[in-house]
Parts: sequence; structure tokens; C-alpha cells
Amino acid sequence: MAEIKLEHIKKQYQNASEPSVADYNLDIHDKEFIVFVGPSGSGKSTVLRMIAGLEEITDGTFTIDGEVMNEVAPKDREIAMVFQNYALYPHMTVFDNIGYSLKLKKTPKTEIEERVHQAAKILGIEPYLERKPADLSGGQRQRVAMGRAIVRDAKILLMDEPLSNLDAKLRVQMRAEITKIHKRMGATTIYVTHDQTEAMTLADRIVIIDHGDIQQIGTPNELYNEPTNTFVAGFIGSPAMNLLEVEYYDGMLVSDEGFSVTLPQGISKQLTDKGYEDKKIVFGIRPEDLHLDPIAMETYVGGKFTTQVEISELLGADVMLYTKIGNSEIVVRGKGSDYVAPGTAIQVAANLSKAHYFDAVTTNRII
Amino acid sequence: MQTQKLSVREALKVGDWRMKLSAIIMGTSQLLHGQILKGLWFLAVEISFFTWFFARGIKSLQSLITLGTHKQGFVFDKKLGINVLHQGDNSMLLLLFGVATILVVVIFFYQYWVNLKSARKLQELDLYHKSIPTLKEDLSALLDSKLHILLMSVPVAGVVAFTILPLIYMISIAFTNYDHNHLPPKNLFSWVGFENLGNVLGGDVASTFFPLLGWTIVWAIMATVTSFLFGVLLAMLINAKGIKGKKVYRTLFILTMAVPQFITLLIMNNLLNDSGMVNTMLMNWHVISHPLPFLTDGTWAKVTVIIVNMWIGIPATMLVTTGILQNLNQDQIEAAEIDGANKFQIFRDLTFPQILFVMAPSLIQQFIGNINNFNVIFLLTGGGPMNSDYYNAGDTDLLVTWLYKLTIDAADYNLASVIGILIFTLSAVFSLFAYKRVNKMNNLG
Amino acid sequence: MKNKNKRTRMIVYTILTLLAVVWVLPIIWIVLTSFRSEGGMFVDYFIPHHFTLDNYKMLFTNSTYPFGRWFMNTLIVAVVSATLSTFITVVMAYSLSRLKFRWRGRFLQGALVLNMFPGFMSMIAIYYILKAIGLTQSLVALILVYVAGAALGFYVQKGFFDTIPISLDESAMLDGATKWDIFRTITLPLSKPIIVYTTLMAFTGPWMDFIFARVIMGDNIQNYTVAIGLYTMMTRESANSLFMAFAAGSVLIAVPIIILFIALQRFFVEGMTSGAVKG
Repeated sequence: MAEIKLEHIKKQYQNASEPSVADYNLDIHDKEFIVFVGPSGSGKSTVLRMIAGLEEITDGTFTIDGEVMNEVAPKDREIAMVFQNYALYPHMTVFDNIGYSLKLKKTPKTEIEERVHQAAKILGIEPYLERKPADLSGGQRQRVAMGRAIVRDAKILLMDEPLSNLDAKLRVQMRAEITKIHKRMGATTIYVTHDQTEAMTLADRIVIIDHGDIQQIGTPNELYNEPTNTFVAGFIGSPAMNLLEVEYYDGMLVSDEGFSVTLPQGISKQLTDKGYEDKKIVFGIRPEDLHLDPIAMETYVGGKFTTQVEISELLGADVMLYTKIGNSEIVVRGKGSDYVAPGTAIQVAANLSKAHYFDAVTTNRII
Repeated sequence: MQTQKLSVREALKVGDWRMKLSAIIMGTSQLLHGQILKGLWFLAVEISFFTWFFARGIKSLQSLITLGTHKQGFVFDKKLGINVLHQGDNSMLLLLFGVATILVVVIFFYQYWVNLKSARKLQELDLYHKSIPTLKEDLSALLDSKLHILLMSVPVAGVVAFTILPLIYMISIAFTNYDHNHLPPKNLFSWVGFENLGNVLGGDVASTFFPLLGWTIVWAIMATVTSFLFGVLLAMLINAKGIKGKKVYRTLFILTMAVPQFITLLIMNNLLNDSGMVNTMLMNWHVISHPLPFLTDGTWAKVTVIIVNMWIGIPATMLVTTGILQNLNQDQIEAAEIDGANKFQIFRDLTFPQILFVMAPSLIQQFIGNINNFNVIFLLTGGGPMNSDYYNAGDTDLLVTWLYKLTIDAADYNLASVIGILIFTLSAVFSLFAYKRVNKMNNLG
Repeated sequence: MKNKNKRTRMIVYTILTLLAVVWVLPIIWIVLTSFRSEGGMFVDYFIPHHFTLDNYKMLFTNSTYPFGRWFMNTLIVAVVSATLSTFITVVMAYSLSRLKFRWRGRFLQGALVLNMFPGFMSMIAIYYILKAIGLTQSLVALILVYVAGAALGFYVQKGFFDTIPISLDESAMLDGATKWDIFRTITLPLSKPIIVYTTLMAFTGPWMDFIFARVIMGDNIQNYTVAIGLYTMMTRESANSLFMAFAAGSVLIAVPIIILFIALQRFFVEGMTSGAVKG
């Protein structure tokens, strides 16, 4: 069993005026695959390293299965970790690299053989066991790093941006591998990345972090469909959600650049009840919820507006239209047949029931 | 729950009687907590220190202040009725033992502090109901969190005994009148405060000190700069495109680094002597009629020394520069060529600045090393030609070689010590200045 | 275009060859002198008129200058101090590079300061300390002094350790290694070149040092190392007649060291350049 609790975790470096991580609270369930995602410098790696014991926890409590682990040395925490740059021991063969932890525990030779071969088989690197890291490709090295972690049968597995050094195709391949390995190992896994696609595809739950503060914790679905603030809304999903600053009055959302939509009654009532009449809000709508076909035009009457196409990217079955209203950019996703040349003005129908409404000042979700 | 760390002062205030007793009888807390070996050790340290101190230590400190009161000589012994040779005090040994005594006292206080810290840790553990580490746990910590203690204790002890102790001793001598007129065991010497320093900076020795200081700095600059510049040039020549036999050339130059300096310098001394090979050959070929005073004329000697030093220093610089050149980004050079730069411009604007940037710290160290470059000067010219205006020094003497002569030839140990301290000050000032500059360079670069 | 390149290359080759000759000349000269049978310190020709091995023989057969004995002395001192020095330097460098302890910064600063004092200054004091222990004029004293110096000479070694990525240590820590395990199984194997360099430097030191050795040995000729031995040969009144013997002795020292340097060239170069080059 490996249940992890992080309570009021704080990290402040000696000469820093502000903490890198201010007040981190998180409960991680046994065998869960949880992803910390956020932009560079958001503090996600710092939290991971604190869990590993490679950074000191300035304040707060960190427990595994109820036992406080703040002061326990990394080597006694029984945590396996895959580093971003793999950290393979260059002077040892792949076999020795993977078997290193077992050797330290004085595991009998036959057992080491068995377990290393097993791990290598799962990752498909058995043919390379006698090679040195320098003779391997990036993808192979990555697998060795993973092999090193899984051979230990640890209860907790940490991964610090393990796929960021691989090319796009390999990344997709490895994502599937990682999910398979997680199911097989049954270890509680904490995965750090700045790539929201990885987060969305791998995680049971996602923790979005910005500047050391947790923005939202939830399943990929929750984060996608119910982002709690504009940061999460704009971070999850590719291409990003369109966020527009507008004013709400008389049941309409109007921007000073020519954008205007009429809200369905249900939504406008909620906004008014919450006191947003004549106030600024941030209107968020995903590119795929903006439609160009005639049926949509009929259905989403109130959400129609005009915008000017600047760039059209034909992606085969889909097309991405990068349009502008005044100075604000709106991305529309349509079918390939919806392709229009740049410079054209088009009419777009927004599915307002799928839209998101945020407070312009606090950036938090209103409805 | 996070454990609060107690400072020693806090622990003494709020601690229990065991903690407070530890401040007086070292080792109490440890013994009462079951750490027998540790407790006994501290107790033993305390007992042996105080025994030694009252038996010998105090006397040693007293002698340190007086540096001896009884001169060696004959004293009439009333009992025997004849003059007996009275050994007298040996100022030098008294000073040495005095300094050693002070060090022992310092070490004792250090152990006392360790004792208090250990007691405080025990206090902390008690407060939070944690377990006391056993001897086994303490020993295994030596292999992990306390590995630095295991690895460094013996070397550091060596440093204290063979570097720090002698240095303190020598620095103290600078404040005595331990010179050729006051040589123990026959004579005593005593403290004279800053008199020696005044002598060097403003008194009769100043007329030697300042010219030598000037020459030392000139020499250090010239030696470092010439070795560097020509080393870079040589490296570039060997490394140039299309030159074959790079390794052969480099090996030849490395070869010259392998020959011990004292051999090569004595060879140079021999070759450049008034009756040496160079002069006799030049005379035989009727190029000159009198031998050139490479080593016998003050100014010539200074130039000779710098040029010979190039022979010694260039291969080393060449080697390091080659390493840098090979790691240099080739793309930028190609980009510059396309932009229209010729070879010289590329060297001036791209290659040389980058070499300088990487080598700056090393150059500073070389400069300071050259200030103290004993071998080259001593072996080549012996510091000569002798200059009668100088006190025990020659025209090419550096402050270091002068230090040597003052010690070995003139036995003016106090002057030598003052010079040593001044050399240190010189090096320190230059280091600080240079590192500030380099840091600025690094921050802009 | 081709001709111009060819011409420049010819010039460069000429310069390089000239320089190489200038550099190697003194060495060739001393080798030739060691075989010269006639004349004294100063002759006006380059190649000896008569070749002989007498100079070499003389070194091993006379009792005033027991070169053979000196050679053995130096060899013993070199081997012992190289072993101890390397160990101490490596250990110090590792502690200061990898281990976090409170006084690390202070220690590094202190070492920097201590290294700024001219080494010679403490010589006299060390002599008297040794005298107080009763060790003067012995090889043990010499070894002690050389090894003590090694404790503060860790900079190159430390510089190299600093370039080993910390993530290797961290990975090993998570794998369950103590700091000592990391030192033994990861850091040391990766540092082979630098360790060889350190040992090479520590080994060749005693062959070349004549300052420290002179102060410690005084007039105990039997215990001299080759360096002081040869040096005293040159500074006696009999320097003139001993010059060729001196040359012979020099060759006998220089040759093994040169061979060592060339054989271990790779490590020597790596050691010298590792400090300066940022990868």
C-alpha cells in the first residue's frame, strides 16, 4: 500500500524572497497515476524532488501510509525515480545499470539475473544488456532508465519529464508503454510534465500547478470540461480554449471590438443573480465548439458572430482557422471542407451552453 | 509535526540538569543517555586537557609572552664552586611550543563545543521522544551523512600540523627580532611588535624592498603575458587546418615539460654563461667580440629571465589552449567567413576573446604563481647579478627568492617572515581584484 | 589559391620546425654532454669530440656522490608519497565537491587563502617541528611533508568531480546507496583519467623538488634524493669537473620521467585542460 499525503508543504530556498512552493496540499491514493502539470518553473519538479528526498521540505508534513517521511533519507524511502536526462551510470553496462539497486541490497546473483532480464523483456531492451549507455539511442536509454525503476518493485514511482527528450513519434509510443507498465506494476505513480497532452492521456487525476500554487486537482475530464479558472482553461486542451474579455449586460456579452452574442436565458439568469450585470467577465469557448455549418447557424442563433480569417491551417480531415476580431484572436476548428482563404470574413456560431464564464478580476469560474 | 531545532544557547537555558552539567563536566549527558564510548571520550578529553594545562600549558603561555629570560652562558654554581654552563632558554622552541599550546587550547574548545552540541542533540531527542542513536548507528552514519568527517579528518589534521601551525609560527616571528644577531640557543630574542614591518616599508630595508617589489610585479606580468600570448599563437599554428603531424609537434613540446625544471634551468644557466656555449659560439663566428652579459648585467639578466621563462611556460599554455580550440564551436567561424571576415579578424574578434574568457581564472592563478615563481629565477640567475645597493639581494631577485636568501644565507628570520606576509598580502589583493573583474566579465558574457 | 595556401603552409611548417628545434635543443645538448669525455663546464663546440660512458659509471661507483643510492631514495619517496597523496587528494576533493557540510564554503575559502602564502615560509617551521619529533634528515620526514602538501592541492581533482552530473548521485541515492557506496561504485570509476593525472603529478614531484628536500636533508648525503644530490654537485667547487657527470645524472632522471609523460600523455593533457575547458 502506498498512500501519499502532502499537507501544507512549503519550499523556500535560502536566499529567496518568496517560496517556490507555498502551500501544497494533496492526497494521493494507492496505485493512482497522478500527473503534476504546469509551465516551466511552476514548482512541479520541486515537489517531486521533495517527495524523493532530494530537496529538503521547508515546512509541512509529508507522509506515506501515515508515516511521516520528512526526515527519512532518499535511500530509505523505497521510491524509484526516472530522471529527465535518465542519469544512467556511463561506466556500467545496461545490465549493471538496471541491477545496481539490487546489488546494493546484496540480492543473490541468480535473483538479480532473473529480475533484470524480466524488466528488460517488458521494455524490449534484452538485446542491449551488455552494451554501455553511450552506445544506445535516446529512446533505448529512456527504456533503460525505466527498467532501472521497475526492477525494484517499489511502491512509489516518480517520473520527472521522462519523455521530453524524445521525438514526437517515440513519445506517443512510450506513453502507451508507460500506461501498460503502471497497470502491471501497480505502484502509486507521480508523473511530472509540462505537456498537457501527456497529462490528459496518462493521468487518473491531474494536478495543475502555476507559480508554486495548485490551480486545480481533478480527472482529465473534469479539468477539460470544468476548469476552475482561466489558467487551467487556457492550459488544458490543444489548441487552447479561446478566452475573450467581454462585458455582460442585458443578457448579452459584448466586447468593444465588435463581438456580440446573446446568452440563453438559463445562463444569463445565473450571471445576473451572481451580480455580474454591467461587469466584465472572461468568456471562454473551445475551438471545436465554434461551428460553421448551416445547421449550427440555425441551432445556435444567439451565438452567431462575425470574424476575420488570418491564417488557415489545413490538417487533412480538419482545418484550423485563426481568426481575429479587432485585436483578439479566435481559433475555430472546422472540417476540411470548411477551408476558407485568409482574409475572408466568416460567420461563426458558438454553442453557448458549452462555453465557460470566468470572473475577469479573480479569473475564477462563475458558473 | 516538524521538529524544532534548538540552538545550543536555548538548550542550556531550557535543558534539564544533565544538559547543564555537561557544560561543566564534559560527557555527562552522553554517559547518562547510554552513549558510553562518546561520554568517556569527552570526559577523557576534559581530564587530560586540564591536567596538561595546569602542569605545562600555563608555563608555556607565560614563556610565549617573555620568549625566554635566561641567556645561555656560564653561571657560578655555589654548590659546586665552579662555573657551570647554563643551558638557558631557547626562544625559538619557546615560541614554537607557545604557538602549539594555543592551538591545543583552541582544539580543546572545539571539542568542548562538540560536546555541547551533542548534548543539545540528546536534549532534542528527549523532548520529542525519539530514540538515542546507538554506537552502531553512529558508525554507519560515518559512511553516509557524516562521510566527510571520516574522509577529511586525517588530511585536515595534517594540514593543521604541517601548514597552519608552521604558518602561525612564522607569522609570529615577523613580530620578533629573531635575526642573525639573535640566534638561539646562544641568544634570546623577544617581541618587537611592528618594528620589522616599519623597517621594511620605511627603514633601511625599504631601499631593497620596493625595487624588488616593482620587479616582482613586472616579472609576473611579463612572464604570464608572454607565456599566454605566444602559447596561444603556437597552439593556433599547430592546430591550423592542413598541418600534418599535429600530435608529433605536441608531443615534442610536452617532452620539454617532462624534464625537471632544475635540470633545464641549470642547462640554460650554463649555455648563457659568459663562458657558455652561446657566447663562445658567437665569438667564434666573430659576431661579437666580448661575451654578451646575459646573466651578468642587471638589465640583460631581467630580459633573459623573461625569455627563458617562455621556454618553460609556453608548452603548458599551448596545451591548455589547444583543448579550448578543439572545443570551440566551428559553426560560428564559418558564419564569420561568410560574413567576410579574414583569418586575422576571426582570431581577433572570435577566437581570442573566447580563449581569454575561458582562461581568465587560470591566468590569474598563473600570475599569482609567477609572483612566487622561485625556481626559474633562483636556478637561472640565483637572483643575481648581486646588487651592492641591496641588502642580501640581486637584480633579478623576486620577493620569494629574497625571502630564501634572508632565511638561509643571512639568517634574518624576522625579515623573511615580514616579506612572506607582504607577499601574501600582494597575492590576496591581486586575487580579490582579479576575481571581481572576472565575475563582472562572466556576468556580462 | 592553391599555391597561396601551399606557401602559407610551408611557412607554418618552417616556423613550427624551427620552434621545435629550439625547444628540444637544450635537451639534446645535455644528452650529448653526458657522453662527453673531455673538457669541463664550458666548451665552445656542440658535438663532443670523444664519447664515453665514464660519466655514467662515475655516478654509480664513487662514494661522495652515491647516485645509485639517491635514485633508490627518490624512488621510494616517490612511490609512497604518490600513493598516499593521491588517496588524500581524491578524498579531500570528493568531500569538497559532493558532500554537503556546514563549513564547506569556509574551508574552500581557507584553502584558497592558505595557498597564497609562499610555500617556503613554513619550511623553517616544519624543519623545527620535525626536529622536535626527531625526524629530521630522514626520508620519512620528506614523505610527510610532500603528503601534507597534497591535502590542499585538490583543485584539479575537485574541478573534475564537479563536472560529474549530480543526477547520477541522486539516482544512486534513490537506488539505496550510501554516500560511501556512491564514492566507491560511481564517482571513482568515472574519474580514472584524473586520478592517473594526480598520481603522475605526485609521483614526479619528489624527483624534481630541491627546495624542500634540501631544507629537510641538510647534509645527510646518504639520504639525498636525486634532485638535491645533483644540485649540490653543481654548486660545489668541483662543479667544473663534475659537469658531465651532472649531465649524466640529469639524463638518468629525465628519461624515465619523459617516458612516463609520453606514455600517460592522454591523462596529462586531460588533467591540464579539464580545469580550463567548459564542455
